[in-house]
Amino acid sequence: MIRKGLFKWPKNKTEGTPKKANALHSGLPDDICCSCPTCKKTNFVSRVRENLLVCPYCGHHFKMGVRRRIDMISDDGTFNEMFAEIAGRDVLSFPEYQTKKETAQKASGEKEGVVCGVCSVLGAQTAVFAMESEFMMGSMGSAVGERITLLFEYATLNKLPVLGFCLSGGARMQEGMVSLMQMAKTAAAVKRHSDENNLYISVLCDPTSGGVTASFASLADIIIAEPNALICFAGPRVIEQTIRQKLPQGFQRAEFLLEKGFINLICKRAELKELLANILKLHERGGKL
Amino acid sequence: MISKILIANRGEIAVRIVRACKEMGITSVAVFSDVDKDALHVSLADESYCIGPYKAKDSYLNMGAILSIATACGAEAIHPGYGLLSENAEFARLCRECNIIFIGPPPEVIEKMGKKDEALRTMQKAGVNTVPGSAQAVTDINQAISFAEEIGYPVLLKARSGGGGKGIRKVDNSEQLERLFLSASAEAANSFNDGALYVEKYLFPVKHVEVQILCDNDNNIAILGERDCSVQRKNQKMLEESPCIALNNKTRAKLFEMAKSAAKAINYTGAGTLEFLLDGQGKLYFMEMNTRLQVEHTVSEMVTGLDLVKWQIRIADGMNMDFLKEGVSLNGHAIECRINAEKSDNGMPSCGKISLLHIPGGPNVRFDTALYQDYNVLPFYDSMIGKLIVYAKTREEAIRKMKAALCELVIEGIHCNREALIEIIEDEEFESGRYTTDFLTKKFKDKVSG
Repeated sequence: MIRKGLFKWPKNKTEGTPKKANALHSGLPDDICCSCPTCKKTNFVSRVRENLLVCPYCGHHFKMGVRRRIDMISDDGTFNEMFAEIAGRDVLSFPEYQTKKETAQKASGEKEGVVCGVCSVLGAQTAVFAMESEFMMGSMGSAVGERITLLFEYATLNKLPVLGFCLSGGARMQEGMVSLMQMAKTAAAVKRHSDENNLYISVLCDPTSGGVTASFASLADIIIAEPNALICFAGPRVIEQTIRQKLPQGFQRAEFLLEKGFINLICKRAELKELLANILKLHERGGKL
Repeated sequence: MISKILIANRGEIAVRIVRACKEMGITSVAVFSDVDKDALHVSLADESYCIGPYKAKDSYLNMGAILSIATACGAEAIHPGYGLLSENAEFARLCRECNIIFIGPPPEVIEKMGKKDEALRTMQKAGVNTVPGSAQAVTDINQAISFAEEIGYPVLLKARSGGGGKGIRKVDNSEQLERLFLSASAEAANSFNDGALYVEKYLFPVKHVEVQILCDNDNNIAILGERDCSVQRKNQKMLEESPCIALNNKTRAKLFEMAKSAAKAINYTGAGTLEFLLDGQGKLYFMEMNTRLQVEHTVSEMVTGLDLVKWQIRIADGMNMDFLKEGVSLNGHAIECRINAEKSDNGMPSCGKISLLHIPGGPNVRFDTALYQDYNVLPFYDSMIGKLIVYAKTREEAIRKMKAALCELVIEGIHCNREALIEIIEDEEFESGRYTTDFLTKKFKDKVSG
């Protein structure tokens, strides 16, 4: 068609004073784009944020901070935080635990890996907790276990349902046996809450694993999962390396577990608030939809 | 001065902007979809980059790809042309975040004028006379009916976020309104992701008159005359002229005054157009604002002698309009005809290889196009393939010139609307200058019945 070099370039000097090359250009700020790990498409962070941290192309659910999560489902200004003063101790003097914790606190803006409180969801009162992935991958140490236990006890006393966003790498190994103990402690609190005929809904986010899956995350009356969330005890890589076999596609993902009956349903973020409100209202004492 | 500009558009407007860059000594960067690799703007620009497959949404509307290229090649500014991303507030905002100058108004202004109901309210506040209507989005039919009864039928249902004639319905009575409300709302939701509508009085017969403005960063406002765009087919303009001879000096002064207060009210910067309706009594009604360069900016360039694209770039660079010292003088008469690749019998787009191209010439004849001999007109994009513009001292002379130029224009290999344009320009009603927006519909009807 048009062959290369057909047109000559006019030798016009730039009008006015030319700016120094790239003087304007300080380049892209770091946080303007992100790549979707599922579909690999480039997304603008602002657009993903507006879309509840869900990829507009493929529906991949990005990780969400605790505050945003609670904001997403609670009615404006109804969330009251509780037990925020409870912090864990470095009982084992585990090497580098303190520095790791400080880094996590800086990264997440939270004192510990779980935020507890009460709020209302489209008018339905509930106790709520949410785990923070930025805080040592939401691992369960003594403080996390204690806060959740206290929340269940508070809910039992006040006949409130509990809504829990579970997201965790498992028990916090830096606290050794003390962290494993939290499994039994939280499970017992859930049982006492349940024995008083109270509702407990857990929402499993990507990833929910280890001691958390093996305790309170799986003990809910209704277990909801976010799409494609990894929900497991030992992760797929560990299993593959142990049994030296390739695992089937989608193994331990929410859809796979729904098929196998481990969870009750999968819900997208955009529809979650309404679903939770409906379930809560349906289970209110003398409640109706 | 900005030293490198990326042009986020294609076709004749991309070529137009590349040319302005060449004259100003600015490096131009073209972007193109894979099917556009042989396009003229690609060869003319200093640098060119492919940004995706043929679908506009994957290429020319692909903000991520465009901004990546702009950053990677060191472009300091992006010119969006018209259509595509030119009135996308999100894109303007992202440019700002990436430290790239968006050649156009700030995103806040684009947003404000993009929501038509909000734009109407803003203008009412500024004391600009608007078309009687709800000026706020109506959400249900009953609300729409009560508004319609208040202002009286016939009314127009319009999409709040609309453009390009989509989501508009003329309604004659409440029965019809009930029926058309849902379909207009659905069409609006489909096209603009926003199903909200507003009700407006249907004014008839009217002329579509618009004012070209140019504003710099010191809030200086230049009024670059008006354009008569009443030759429309299905809400699409086909022929534009400047000045509008139906305006007397008093009405024109009033129109310019309204345009000035409108621009002031929103603190506008860059080139923009305010659209008005002019009724038989000489009354003016503000309709909407386009916060970008328009297809028909050429006629305003001819009568003012100013290069609008160059001024857009200069203003984006922070320069002020030095020509204002002497004032803007409007001289002579200019007419533009839009050349569309379409079949004459059914108006369907026509595509294929240009086997012969002859472009009319002579003094004050301008042809803005991206066509060249052997170029393949593609079916994926807008069917407008060129704009023929003539300029003369008087309207009569301009019409004569346009007739001669249209007859000299030869585009073989595809169908185009040249014949229809010749018919329009030879029409008595057109020559009289009294034509209104229903001119083409009437003409078309006569043809069918005749």
